[in-house]
Amino acid sequence: MSELLTLDEVDRDGAIRETMDAIADDSRAGFLKKSMLATGGIVGGGALLAAMASPAQAATANDVSILNFALTLEYLEAEFYTEAVAMGALSGEVLDFARIVAQHERAHVAFLKKALGTAAVPKPSFNFRGTTENQAKFKATAQVLEDTGVKAYAGQAPLIDSNAILAAALSIHSIEARHASWIRHINGVPPAPNAFDPAATKQRILAAVAATKFITGTPAMTASGGSPAFTG
Amino acid sequence: MAVPALLALAFVVFVAVAYGQEPQAPGAGAVVLPAIPAASGESAASALAGSETVGPQPLSNPNGVSRFMAVLEPVDARAQPGGARIVARLSTRTPEGTTNVVLALARVEREGKLWIKVRLPVLPNNTTGWIRRESLGGYNTVNTHLVVSTRTLTATLYRFRKAVFSARVGIGQSRWPTPTGRFYIRNKLTRYSSPVYGPLAFGTSARSAVLTDWPAGGFVGIHGTNQPRLIPGRISHGCIRLRNADILRLAQLMPPGTPLTIV
Repeated sequence: MSELLTLDEVDRDGAIRETMDAIADDSRAGFLKKSMLATGGIVGGGALLAAMASPAQAATANDVSILNFALTLEYLEAEFYTEAVAMGALSGEVLDFARIVAQHERAHVAFLKKALGTAAVPKPSFNFRGTTENQAKFKATAQVLEDTGVKAYAGQAPLIDSNAILAAALSIHSIEARHASWIRHINGVPPAPNAFDPAATKQRILAAVAATKFITGTPAMTASGGSPAFTG
Repeated sequence: MAVPALLALAFVVFVAVAYGQEPQAPGAGAVVLPAIPAASGESAASALAGSETVGPQPLSNPNGVSRFMAVLEPVDARAQPGGARIVARLSTRTPEGTTNVVLALARVEREGKLWIKVRLPVLPNNTTGWIRRESLGGYNTVNTHLVVSTRTLTATLYRFRKAVFSARVGIGQSRWPTPTGRFYIRNKLTRYSSPVYGPLAFGTSARSAVLTDWPAGGFVGIHGTNQPRLIPGRISHGCIRLRNADILRLAQLMPPGTPLTIV
Protein backbone atom coordinates (compact mmCIF):
# COMPACT_ATOMS: atom_id res chain seq x y z
CA MET A 1 0.00 0.00 0.00
CA SER A 2 1.28 3.44 -0.85
CA GLU A 3 1.74 6.06 1.84
CA LEU A 4 -1.32 7.88 0.53
CA LEU A 5 -4.69 6.31 1.02
CA THR A 6 -6.62 6.14 -2.20
CA LEU A 7 -10.36 6.36 -2.53
CA ASP A 8 -10.53 2.64 -3.19
CA GLU A 9 -8.57 1.84 -0.04
CA VAL A 10 -10.70 4.05 2.17
CA ASP A 11 -14.05 3.44 0.55
CA ARG A 12 -14.07 -0.35 0.54
CA ASP A 13 -17.83 -0.56 1.06
CA GLY A 14 -18.57 2.21 -1.47
CA ALA A 15 -20.22 4.49 1.07
CA ILE A 16 -18.27 7.58 0.08
CA ARG A 17 -18.94 7.03 -3.59
CA GLU A 18 -22.63 6.59 -2.85
CA THR A 19 -22.71 9.82 -0.92
CA MET A 20 -20.94 11.70 -3.67
CA ASP A 21 -23.16 10.18 -6.33
CA ALA A 22 -26.20 11.22 -4.35
CA ILE A 23 -25.13 14.84 -4.42
CA ALA A 24 -23.56 14.79 -7.86
CA ASP A 25 -26.26 16.99 -9.34
CA ASP A 26 -24.83 19.85 -7.34
CA SER A 27 -22.02 21.46 -9.32
CA ARG A 28 -19.79 21.99 -6.29
CA ALA A 29 -20.33 18.48 -5.15
CA GLY A 30 -19.41 17.31 -8.62
CA PHE A 31 -16.23 19.32 -8.39
CA LEU A 32 -15.43 17.86 -5.00
CA LYS A 33 -15.84 14.40 -6.33
CA LYS A 34 -13.67 15.12 -9.34
CA SER A 35 -10.97 16.85 -7.37
CA MET A 36 -10.77 14.11 -4.81
CA LEU A 37 -10.59 11.43 -7.47
CA ALA A 38 -8.10 13.39 -9.52
CA THR A 39 -5.64 13.88 -6.71
CA GLY A 40 -5.48 10.18 -5.94
CA GLY A 41 -5.45 10.79 -2.20
CA ILE A 42 -8.41 11.35 0.08
CA VAL A 43 -8.54 13.26 3.28
CA GLY A 44 -12.08 13.02 4.51
CA GLY A 45 -15.38 11.20 4.38
CA GLY A 46 -18.50 11.57 2.34
CA ALA A 47 -20.36 13.40 5.08
CA LEU A 48 -17.78 16.16 5.05
CA LEU A 49 -18.00 16.46 1.31
CA ALA A 50 -21.73 16.80 1.50
CA ALA A 51 -21.51 19.37 4.26
CA MET A 52 -19.05 21.46 2.31
CA ALA A 53 -20.96 21.15 -0.94
CA SER A 54 -21.70 24.87 -1.18
CA PRO A 55 -20.14 26.67 1.76
CA ALA A 56 -19.90 30.13 0.18
CA GLN A 57 -23.63 30.25 -0.45
CA ALA A 58 -24.34 30.31 3.27
CA ALA A 59 -21.02 31.69 4.47
CA THR A 60 -20.85 34.80 6.58
CA ALA A 61 -18.60 37.66 5.52
CA ASN A 62 -16.29 36.59 8.32
CA ASP A 63 -16.02 33.06 6.94
CA VAL A 64 -15.46 34.30 3.39
CA SER A 65 -12.60 36.43 4.71
CA ILE A 66 -11.10 33.45 6.51
CA LEU A 67 -11.45 31.22 3.45
CA ASN A 68 -9.74 33.84 1.30
CA PHE A 69 -6.93 34.09 3.83
CA ALA A 70 -6.55 30.33 3.62
CA LEU A 71 -6.69 30.49 -0.18
CA THR A 72 -3.86 33.02 -0.28
CA LEU A 73 -1.65 30.73 1.81
CA GLU A 74 -2.60 27.75 -0.33
CA TYR A 75 -1.79 29.66 -3.53
CA LEU A 76 1.64 30.35 -2.11
CA GLU A 77 2.27 26.77 -1.05
CA ALA A 78 0.95 25.27 -4.28
CA GLU A 79 3.10 27.52 -6.41
CA PHE A 80 6.15 26.94 -4.22
CA TYR A 81 6.03 23.16 -4.52
CA THR A 82 4.98 23.11 -8.17
CA GLU A 83 7.85 25.38 -9.11
CA ALA A 84 10.31 23.44 -6.95
CA VAL A 85 9.45 20.23 -8.75
CA ALA A 86 9.73 21.96 -12.14
CA MET A 87 13.13 23.48 -11.43
CA GLY A 88 14.84 20.10 -11.24
CA ALA A 89 17.02 20.89 -8.22
CA LEU A 90 15.43 18.30 -5.90
CA SER A 91 16.18 14.63 -5.63
CA GLY A 92 15.42 11.53 -3.59
CA GLU A 93 12.96 11.75 -0.71
CA VAL A 94 12.88 15.54 -0.96
CA LEU A 95 11.62 15.31 -4.52
CA ASP A 96 9.07 12.68 -3.49
CA PHE A 97 7.88 14.96 -0.70
CA ALA A 98 7.63 17.97 -3.01
CA ARG A 99 5.69 16.08 -5.68
CA ILE A 100 3.09 14.77 -3.27
CA VAL A 101 2.71 17.98 -1.29
CA ALA A 102 2.41 19.96 -4.53
CA GLN A 103 -0.49 17.74 -5.45
CA HIS A 104 -2.15 18.29 -2.08
CA GLU A 105 -1.70 22.05 -2.15
CA ARG A 106 -3.11 22.32 -5.66
CA ALA A 107 -6.10 20.30 -4.46
CA HIS A 108 -6.54 22.70 -1.55
CA VAL A 109 -6.45 25.66 -3.94
CA ALA A 110 -9.01 24.08 -6.23
CA PHE A 111 -11.23 23.21 -3.27
CA LEU A 112 -11.15 26.71 -1.78
CA LYS A 113 -11.59 28.45 -5.14
CA LYS A 114 -14.59 26.35 -5.93
CA ALA A 115 -16.04 26.90 -2.48
CA LEU A 116 -15.60 30.67 -2.70
CA GLY A 117 -16.76 30.99 -6.30
CA THR A 118 -16.66 34.59 -7.46
CA ALA A 119 -15.65 35.71 -3.95
CA ALA A 120 -12.24 34.03 -4.34
CA VAL A 121 -9.25 36.32 -4.32
CA PRO A 122 -7.11 36.12 -7.47
CA LYS A 123 -3.80 34.32 -7.43
CA PRO A 124 -0.90 36.67 -6.74
CA SER A 125 2.45 36.57 -8.50
CA PHE A 126 5.36 34.98 -6.70
CA ASN A 127 9.11 35.20 -6.62
CA PHE A 128 10.59 32.47 -4.47
CA ARG A 129 14.05 34.00 -4.74
CA GLY A 130 15.96 30.85 -5.45
CA THR A 131 14.42 28.76 -2.65
CA THR A 132 12.84 26.44 -5.22
CA GLU A 133 16.15 26.06 -7.04
CA ASN A 134 18.40 24.69 -4.34
CA GLN A 135 17.63 21.62 -2.26
CA ALA A 136 18.97 22.95 1.05
CA LYS A 137 17.08 26.23 0.70
CA PHE A 138 13.97 24.36 -0.36
CA LYS A 139 14.05 22.08 2.69
CA ALA A 140 14.44 24.97 5.11
CA THR A 141 11.74 27.05 3.41
CA ALA A 142 9.29 24.16 3.18
CA GLN A 143 9.53 23.59 6.92
CA VAL A 144 8.83 27.25 7.63
CA LEU A 145 5.88 27.31 5.23
CA GLU A 146 4.32 24.15 6.63
CA ASP A 147 4.78 25.18 10.26
CA THR A 148 3.26 28.55 9.35
CA GLY A 149 0.32 26.91 7.60
CA VAL A 150 -0.42 24.78 10.66
CA LYS A 151 -0.37 27.82 12.93
CA ALA A 152 -2.53 29.79 10.52
CA TYR A 153 -5.32 27.19 10.37
CA ALA A 154 -5.15 26.71 14.14
CA GLY A 155 -5.48 30.45 14.63
CA GLN A 156 -8.51 30.79 12.38
CA ALA A 157 -10.42 27.66 13.42
CA PRO A 158 -11.99 29.15 16.60
CA LEU A 159 -13.13 32.17 14.59
CA ILE A 160 -15.07 30.26 11.94
CA ASP A 161 -18.86 30.66 12.14
CA SER A 162 -19.95 27.64 10.09
CA ASN A 163 -19.48 24.12 11.38
CA ALA A 164 -19.23 22.84 7.80
CA ILE A 165 -16.42 25.26 7.01
CA LEU A 166 -14.74 24.44 10.30
CA ALA A 167 -14.81 20.74 9.43
CA ALA A 168 -13.28 21.43 6.03
CA ALA A 169 -10.62 23.67 7.54
CA LEU A 170 -9.71 21.01 10.06
CA SER A 171 -9.37 18.43 7.31
CA ILE A 172 -6.85 20.69 5.57
CA HIS A 173 -5.18 21.63 8.86
CA SER A 174 -4.35 18.03 9.69
CA ILE A 175 -2.82 17.53 6.26
CA GLU A 176 -0.67 20.63 6.71
CA ALA A 177 0.43 19.18 10.04
CA ARG A 178 1.37 15.93 8.33
CA HIS A 179 3.39 17.91 5.77
CA ALA A 180 5.11 19.76 8.59
CA SER A 181 6.03 16.53 10.34
CA TRP A 182 7.21 14.98 7.09
CA ILE A 183 9.57 17.79 6.14
CA ARG A 184 10.76 18.05 9.73
CA HIS A 185 11.64 14.35 9.61
CA ILE A 186 13.49 14.89 6.33
CA ASN A 187 15.33 17.83 7.89
CA GLY A 188 16.35 15.76 10.90
CA VAL A 189 14.46 17.80 13.47
CA PRO A 190 11.75 16.52 15.83
CA PRO A 191 8.54 15.98 13.82
CA ALA A 192 6.36 16.68 16.85
CA PRO A 193 8.43 18.78 19.24
CA ASN A 194 5.64 19.78 21.62
CA ALA A 195 2.48 18.39 23.17
CA PHE A 196 0.61 21.55 22.17
CA ASP A 197 1.09 23.71 19.09
CA PRO A 198 0.73 27.48 19.40
CA ALA A 199 -1.68 29.15 17.01
CA ALA A 200 -0.98 32.44 15.27
CA THR A 201 -3.20 35.35 14.37
CA LYS A 202 -3.90 36.41 10.82
CA GLN A 203 -1.83 39.54 11.37
CA ARG A 204 1.19 37.55 12.51
CA ILE A 205 0.89 35.14 9.62
CA LEU A 206 0.53 37.93 7.06
CA ALA A 207 3.54 39.71 8.54
CA ALA A 208 5.56 36.51 8.29
CA VAL A 209 4.49 35.98 4.68
CA ALA A 210 5.28 39.60 3.82
CA ALA A 211 8.73 39.18 5.35
CA THR A 212 9.53 36.40 2.87
CA LYS A 213 8.91 38.81 -0.04
CA PHE A 214 7.58 35.81 -1.94
CA ILE A 215 4.41 37.62 -3.01
CA THR A 216 5.23 40.18 -5.69
CA GLY A 217 3.59 42.36 -8.26
CA THR A 218 2.89 41.06 -11.75
CA PRO A 219 5.22 42.48 -14.44
CA ALA A 220 3.53 45.46 -16.11
CA MET A 221 3.76 44.39 -19.73
CA THR A 222 0.92 46.37 -21.23
CA ALA A 223 0.72 50.11 -21.72
CA SER A 224 -1.60 52.57 -23.36
CA GLY A 225 -1.22 56.08 -24.68
CA GLY A 226 1.86 57.72 -26.14
CA SER A 227 3.18 56.51 -29.45
CA PRO A 228 5.28 53.44 -30.18
CA ALA A 229 8.72 53.97 -31.67
CA PHE A 230 9.01 50.62 -33.39
CA THR A 231 10.54 50.51 -36.86
CA GLY A 232 7.06 50.43 -38.42
CA MET B 1 11.14 14.37 -49.96
CA ALA B 2 8.69 17.06 -51.08
CA VAL B 3 9.64 20.72 -50.78
CA PRO B 4 7.05 21.48 -48.04
CA ALA B 5 8.34 18.56 -46.01
CA LEU B 6 11.91 19.77 -46.42
CA LEU B 7 10.90 23.24 -45.28
CA ALA B 8 9.10 21.79 -42.29
CA LEU B 9 12.14 19.71 -41.42
CA ALA B 10 14.39 22.75 -41.78
CA PHE B 11 12.17 24.68 -39.39
CA VAL B 12 12.14 21.89 -36.83
CA VAL B 13 15.92 21.62 -36.96
CA PHE B 14 16.23 25.40 -36.72
CA VAL B 15 14.03 25.60 -33.65
CA ALA B 16 15.69 22.61 -32.03
CA VAL B 17 19.15 24.02 -32.54
CA ALA B 18 18.05 27.49 -31.55
CA TYR B 19 16.78 26.28 -28.20
CA GLY B 20 19.68 23.99 -27.52
CA GLN B 21 17.90 20.73 -28.21
CA GLU B 22 19.20 17.89 -30.26
CA PRO B 23 17.13 17.74 -33.45
CA GLN B 24 15.51 14.36 -33.73
CA ALA B 25 16.10 12.23 -36.78
CA PRO B 26 13.06 11.91 -39.04
CA GLY B 27 11.66 8.54 -39.85
CA ALA B 28 11.04 7.38 -43.37
CA GLY B 29 9.07 10.14 -45.05
CA ALA B 30 8.04 11.70 -41.75
CA VAL B 31 9.08 14.70 -39.72
CA VAL B 32 9.44 13.87 -36.03
CA LEU B 33 8.80 16.84 -33.80
CA PRO B 34 10.31 17.11 -30.32
CA ALA B 35 8.30 15.80 -27.41
CA ILE B 36 5.85 18.22 -25.87
CA PRO B 37 5.81 18.83 -22.12
CA ALA B 38 2.42 19.38 -20.54
CA ALA B 39 1.16 22.87 -19.79
CA SER B 40 1.72 22.95 -16.09
CA GLY B 41 1.92 20.88 -12.99
CA GLU B 42 3.77 17.70 -12.51
CA SER B 43 3.98 16.47 -16.09
CA ALA B 44 5.62 19.66 -17.28
CA ALA B 45 7.74 19.67 -14.18
CA SER B 46 8.94 16.17 -14.83
CA ALA B 47 9.73 17.02 -18.43
CA LEU B 48 11.81 20.00 -17.44
CA ALA B 49 13.43 18.17 -14.58
CA GLY B 50 14.24 15.16 -16.69
CA SER B 51 17.90 15.92 -17.18
CA GLU B 52 19.86 15.16 -14.03
CA THR B 53 23.10 16.65 -15.20
CA VAL B 54 25.18 19.17 -13.29
CA GLY B 55 24.99 21.48 -16.29
CA PRO B 56 22.35 24.11 -16.95
CA GLN B 57 18.75 23.05 -16.46
CA PRO B 58 16.47 24.16 -19.30
CA LEU B 59 13.74 26.62 -18.40
CA SER B 60 12.03 27.15 -21.73
CA ASN B 61 10.89 24.92 -24.53
CA PRO B 62 9.19 26.65 -27.46
CA ASN B 63 7.08 23.55 -28.04
CA GLY B 64 5.88 23.52 -24.45
CA VAL B 65 6.35 25.75 -21.44
CA SER B 66 8.52 28.85 -21.61
CA ARG B 67 9.44 31.16 -18.76
CA PHE B 68 10.15 34.86 -18.59
CA MET B 69 11.31 37.06 -15.71
CA ALA B 70 11.26 40.74 -14.86
CA VAL B 71 14.52 42.66 -14.54
CA LEU B 72 14.35 43.95 -10.95
CA GLU B 73 17.39 46.21 -10.97
CA PRO B 74 19.86 47.57 -13.53
CA VAL B 75 22.12 44.62 -14.20
CA ASP B 76 24.88 43.36 -16.46
CA ALA B 77 24.44 40.21 -18.46
CA ARG B 78 27.61 38.20 -18.81
CA ALA B 79 28.91 35.74 -21.35
CA GLN B 80 29.29 33.00 -18.72
CA PRO B 81 27.94 32.43 -15.20
CA GLY B 82 30.26 34.47 -13.02
CA GLY B 83 32.29 35.44 -16.05
CA ALA B 84 33.78 38.86 -16.44
CA ARG B 85 32.79 39.74 -20.00
CA ILE B 86 29.67 41.86 -20.10
CA VAL B 87 27.48 41.27 -23.14
CA ALA B 88 24.68 43.69 -22.29
CA ARG B 89 23.50 46.10 -19.64
CA LEU B 90 19.81 45.89 -18.84
CA SER B 91 17.48 48.45 -17.29
CA THR B 92 14.25 47.76 -15.46
CA ARG B 93 11.97 49.46 -18.01
CA THR B 94 11.52 49.22 -21.76
CA PRO B 95 11.50 52.32 -23.96
CA GLU B 96 7.71 52.03 -23.87
CA GLY B 97 7.69 52.25 -20.07
CA THR B 98 6.69 48.65 -19.38
CA THR B 99 8.56 46.26 -17.11
CA ASN B 100 11.66 44.98 -18.87
CA VAL B 101 11.49 41.20 -19.07
CA VAL B 102 13.86 38.56 -20.40
CA LEU B 103 13.13 35.08 -21.68
CA ALA B 104 14.67 32.55 -19.29
CA LEU B 105 16.49 29.78 -21.16
CA ALA B 106 18.36 27.85 -18.46
CA ARG B 107 19.54 27.99 -14.89
CA VAL B 108 22.70 26.82 -13.20
CA GLU B 109 24.32 27.05 -9.77
CA ARG B 110 27.97 28.04 -9.65
CA GLU B 111 29.83 28.32 -6.34
CA GLY B 112 26.58 28.68 -4.46
CA LYS B 113 25.18 31.38 -6.74
CA LEU B 114 22.24 30.89 -9.06
CA TRP B 115 22.59 32.17 -12.61
CA ILE B 116 19.93 32.42 -15.29
CA LYS B 117 20.69 32.27 -19.00
CA VAL B 118 18.43 34.71 -20.79
CA ARG B 119 17.68 35.90 -24.27
CA LEU B 120 18.60 39.56 -24.55
CA PRO B 121 16.91 42.47 -26.35
CA VAL B 122 20.18 43.75 -27.79
CA LEU B 123 22.23 43.82 -30.96
CA PRO B 124 23.52 41.64 -32.40
CA ASN B 125 20.22 39.80 -32.50
CA ASN B 126 20.12 36.34 -30.94
CA THR B 127 22.48 37.37 -28.14
CA THR B 128 22.14 35.48 -24.87
CA GLY B 129 23.76 36.14 -21.52
CA TRP B 130 23.84 35.10 -17.86
CA ILE B 131 22.30 37.15 -15.06
CA ARG B 132 22.41 36.64 -11.30
CA ARG B 133 19.14 35.15 -10.08
CA GLU B 134 18.54 37.81 -7.45
CA SER B 135 18.41 40.55 -10.10
CA LEU B 136 15.40 38.88 -11.69
CA GLY B 137 11.81 38.44 -10.54
CA GLY B 138 9.73 35.32 -10.29
CA TYR B 139 9.15 32.84 -13.07
CA ASN B 140 6.17 33.58 -15.31
CA THR B 141 5.08 30.88 -17.70
CA VAL B 142 3.56 30.87 -21.19
CA ASN B 143 2.72 27.95 -23.45
CA THR B 144 2.58 29.84 -26.74
CA HIS B 145 5.14 30.34 -29.51
CA LEU B 146 4.83 32.74 -32.43
CA VAL B 147 6.57 31.83 -35.66
CA VAL B 148 6.88 34.33 -38.51
CA SER B 149 7.99 33.11 -41.90
CA THR B 150 9.69 35.73 -44.05
CA ARG B 151 9.36 33.33 -46.96
CA THR B 152 5.64 32.65 -46.85
CA LEU B 153 4.80 36.00 -45.18
CA THR B 154 2.77 34.22 -42.54
CA ALA B 155 2.56 34.51 -38.77
CA THR B 156 1.48 31.36 -36.94
CA LEU B 157 0.83 31.10 -33.22
CA TYR B 158 1.30 27.69 -31.63
CA ARG B 159 0.01 26.53 -28.27
CA PHE B 160 2.30 23.62 -27.61
CA ARG B 161 2.70 22.35 -31.15
CA LYS B 162 -0.86 23.07 -32.23
CA ALA B 163 -1.43 26.05 -34.52
CA VAL B 164 -4.15 28.23 -33.01
CA PHE B 165 -3.75 31.33 -35.20
CA SER B 166 -2.40 32.13 -38.64
CA ALA B 167 -2.43 35.30 -40.72
CA ARG B 168 -0.55 36.88 -43.60
CA VAL B 169 1.91 39.59 -42.73
CA GLY B 170 3.95 42.40 -44.15
CA ILE B 171 7.66 42.40 -43.36
CA GLY B 172 10.69 44.57 -43.99
CA GLN B 173 11.76 45.70 -47.41
CA SER B 174 15.01 44.23 -48.72
CA ARG B 175 16.97 47.32 -47.63
CA TRP B 176 15.44 47.17 -44.12
CA PRO B 177 15.05 43.44 -43.59
CA THR B 178 13.12 41.96 -40.70
CA PRO B 179 15.77 40.22 -38.59
CA THR B 180 15.61 36.44 -38.33
CA GLY B 181 16.34 34.38 -35.26
CA ARG B 182 14.96 33.78 -31.76
CA PHE B 183 13.26 36.54 -29.84
CA TYR B 184 10.33 37.11 -27.49
CA ILE B 185 7.38 39.42 -27.02
CA ARG B 186 8.22 42.19 -24.56
CA ASN B 187 4.98 44.11 -24.23
CA LYS B 188 1.59 45.02 -25.64
CA LEU B 189 0.60 48.61 -26.41
CA THR B 190 -2.85 50.05 -27.04
CA ARG B 191 -4.64 53.39 -27.38
CA TYR B 192 -1.65 55.23 -28.75
CA SER B 193 -1.85 58.20 -31.05
CA SER B 194 -0.16 56.95 -34.23
CA PRO B 195 -2.50 55.35 -36.83
CA VAL B 196 0.51 53.80 -38.58
CA TYR B 197 0.58 50.98 -36.02
CA GLY B 198 -3.14 50.19 -36.17
CA PRO B 199 -5.10 49.53 -32.99
CA LEU B 200 -2.54 47.40 -31.14
CA ALA B 201 1.20 46.76 -31.17
CA PHE B 202 3.41 44.12 -29.61
CA GLY B 203 6.99 45.07 -28.82
CA THR B 204 9.60 42.40 -29.42
CA SER B 205 13.21 41.84 -28.43
CA ALA B 206 14.23 41.90 -32.11
CA ARG B 207 16.04 44.95 -33.42
CA SER B 208 16.76 46.23 -36.88
CA ALA B 209 20.40 45.59 -37.71
CA VAL B 210 20.22 48.39 -40.24
CA LEU B 211 18.21 51.17 -38.65
CA THR B 212 20.40 51.40 -35.58
CA ASP B 213 19.74 55.12 -35.18
CA TRP B 214 15.98 54.67 -35.14
CA PRO B 215 14.32 56.27 -32.10
CA ALA B 216 14.38 54.03 -29.01
CA GLY B 217 16.85 51.67 -30.64
CA GLY B 218 15.02 50.33 -33.70
CA PHE B 219 13.01 47.63 -32.01
CA VAL B 220 10.83 45.53 -34.29
CA GLY B 221 7.12 45.61 -33.50
CA ILE B 222 4.28 43.36 -34.49
CA HIS B 223 1.31 45.61 -35.10
CA GLY B 224 -1.71 46.62 -37.14
CA THR B 225 -1.70 49.03 -40.03
CA ASN B 226 -3.44 51.87 -41.80
CA GLN B 227 -2.50 50.38 -45.17
CA PRO B 228 -4.05 46.89 -45.13
CA ARG B 229 -3.95 46.55 -48.91
CA LEU B 230 -0.15 46.19 -48.75
CA ILE B 231 -0.40 42.94 -46.77
CA PRO B 232 1.07 40.46 -47.54
CA GLY B 233 4.26 42.02 -48.80
CA ARG B 234 7.77 43.27 -48.13
CA ILE B 235 6.67 46.72 -47.18
CA SER B 236 7.99 47.87 -43.82
CA HIS B 237 11.12 49.21 -42.16
CA GLY B 238 11.47 45.85 -40.44
CA CYS B 239 8.30 45.62 -38.38
CA ILE B 240 5.80 42.85 -38.88
CA ARG B 241 2.44 44.23 -39.92
CA LEU B 242 -0.88 42.43 -39.71
CA ARG B 243 -4.31 43.51 -40.80
CA ASN B 244 -6.10 45.15 -37.90
CA ALA B 245 -8.63 42.37 -37.44
CA ASP B 246 -5.77 39.88 -37.33
CA ILE B 247 -3.67 41.76 -34.77
CA LEU B 248 -6.71 42.09 -32.53
CA ARG B 249 -7.40 38.38 -32.84
CA LEU B 250 -3.74 37.60 -32.09
CA ALA B 251 -3.89 39.82 -29.01
CA GLN B 252 -6.63 37.62 -27.60
CA LEU B 253 -4.41 34.56 -27.88
CA MET B 254 -0.82 35.63 -27.31
CA PRO B 255 0.40 36.86 -23.92
CA PRO B 256 3.52 39.04 -23.63
CA GLY B 257 6.49 36.85 -22.81
CA THR B 258 5.73 34.49 -25.70
CA PRO B 259 8.82 33.24 -27.56
CA LEU B 260 9.08 34.54 -31.14
CA THR B 261 10.93 32.78 -33.94
CA ILE B 262 11.45 34.58 -37.24
CA VAL B 263 12.66 32.34 -40.06
